Amino acid sequence: MAKVLVVADIKEGVLKGSTVELLSKARAMGAEAAVVAIGSNIESLVPTLVEAGSDTQYIADDPGLALFSAGPFASCVVDAAKQSGADLVWFGFSEGGKAVAPRVAAQLDAACASEITDVTLEGGCIEIVRPAITNKVMQRVKVNTPRLAAVVRAGAFEATEGIGGTENVVKLTPPAPDLRAVIKELVSDASGDIDLTDADVVVSVGRGAKNQAGVDLVKELANDLNAGFGASRAMVDGGFLAHNKQVGQTGKIVAPSLYIAVGISGAIQHLAGMTGSKVILAVNKDPEAPIFNVADYGIVGDLFEVVPILREEIQKVRS
Amino acid sequence: MKILTTVKKVVDVELTIHVKDGAIVEDGLQYVINAWDENAVETAVRLKEKNGAETTLVSVGGGDNTDMIRKCYAMGIENGIHIDDPALEKADAAIYARVLQKVYEKGNYDLVITGKQAQDTDAGQTGIILAEYLGLPCVSNVIGVEVVDDQHLKVSRAGDAGTEIVELTLPAVITVDVSINEPRLPQMRGIMMAKKKPINKMDLAALGTSPDEIGAAAPKSEVIEFMASKTRKAGQKFEGDAAEITAKVVQLLADEAKVL
Repeated sequence: MAKVLVVADIKEGVLKGSTVELLSKARAMGAEAAVVAIGSNIESLVPTLVEAGSDTQYIADDPGLALFSAGPFASCVVDAAKQSGADLVWFGFSEGGKAVAPRVAAQLDAACASEITDVTLEGGCIEIVRPAITNKVMQRVKVNTPRLAAVVRAGAFEATEGIGGTENVVKLTPPAPDLRAVIKELVSDASGDIDLTDADVVVSVGRGAKNQAGVDLVKELANDLNAGFGASRAMVDGGFLAHNKQVGQTGKIVAPSLYIAVGISGAIQHLAGMTGSKVILAVNKDPEAPIFNVADYGIVGDLFEVVPILREEIQKVRS
Repeated sequence: MKILTTVKKVVDVELTIHVKDGAIVEDGLQYVINAWDENAVETAVRLKEKNGAETTLVSVGGGDNTDMIRKCYAMGIENGIHIDDPALEKADAAIYARVLQKVYEKGNYDLVITGKQAQDTDAGQTGIILAEYLGLPCVSNVIGVEVVDDQHLKVSRAGDAGTEIVELTLPAVITVDVSINEPRLPQMRGIMMAKKKPINKMDLAALGTSPDEIGAAAPKSEVIEFMASKTRKAGQKFEGDAAEITAKVVQLLADEAKVL
């Protein structure tokens, strides 16, 4: 039986939905599913990890792991992978996952894959599917090593609630801190914001918003919808939103039920990050904007006029 | 300080990519310097200009990379190495990292700067795996860098919880995001000077290694097929009175798409 180790994605002490998706996929494949959780004060997550379908919970709980640091986090994953004998080590799509997966692969002498959308195991041979060239093509990749460390693309696997597993907690010895790469500070923390990669609805703002008033207007729409609030690269480079709010090839890949692109023209780099959304609504005053080529619904109009009406109409429908 | 940057020649993603019989159709493709690598080059040149450094770039594979390397010279890079060998045709990130490890070990560098990812594979692995092979500290997805002293850098990294400020001990590897800077356009004087600069071209044997040693004889993974991506179709687009069309779309989102 294949063995999967899922690296838990934890934000502010809460388990993200991507972890449930990965554990669900592991169980659907008939694999033995273990999970490794790394952080500070996270032992309370064990029941959630069991409920999500894991049979073994490797826990690295230490104050020194409160802030993300790729070196020590990779050491914990490698430790758990060796103890569990995992063939597949899966990371949710996050900057942390992208930083740690290659380290784990190198330390385990395993293959590494980014943004996989599917994985199959036939006769002990691992194959994966993933997008490449800014999402313009898909690749089928044969893995020639017995182990694979892979980052899974957001929304690639369906979450099944309440699978249930077995509680079998293995405490990991905390690794030594990496004194050669010391986190001195964490700034522009978007604490309390809805996580883009976990949100059911995402509203993103682009260059069409022009100024802070435009950004604030679109943010109000996001607040109404209890949505994650993202941005195109132009708005991040312009200093309107933090880097971790950028949706696109170089930032967050999102796959919500509803993605609302406001004032975003639709450069391919942005499209690469959001075309996995179930339904896309675009608001743009340029009827030829490329965003309309991928949007299910398009409103051609000035966002300063459209967004207030949109908010009002959504409230009407919801009341 | 000795800085090594890595530069990859990649397909121009702005063009349409066609797939036929499991392979990418080469006709009509154009190749450019990987966007993130241009940021890596710009980062190296700015560090040199501000703090003094010797800058070298290395490009692995890709056939004739002369134009790309000369562009980097024109941006301010001083030395260029091109490693090309038929054995690298099916190289994965781990193999590229082993080649770069050999280059690093010959040059005794203080800092390696790579792009965060390459736009052909979008993998984002090579720089990080290189750091593991070299046993060096690494910060990925860097959006700011400054020299503290001869042995330390202060780097900003775009992380999941916000911007992480990291003190990094040299020698080290960083991978940079496009947000770190705006690559300069080479000036005419630089372009003219770049034409005369030599490029150090080597195959694996000249680098002092072999396909077996770097793993090229047995890649950890290999692409066996390319497929066209599923493309979304344009849906319903509404123009006209803002109040009218917005109300209509909201109704569709609620009744047809069932997402409100």
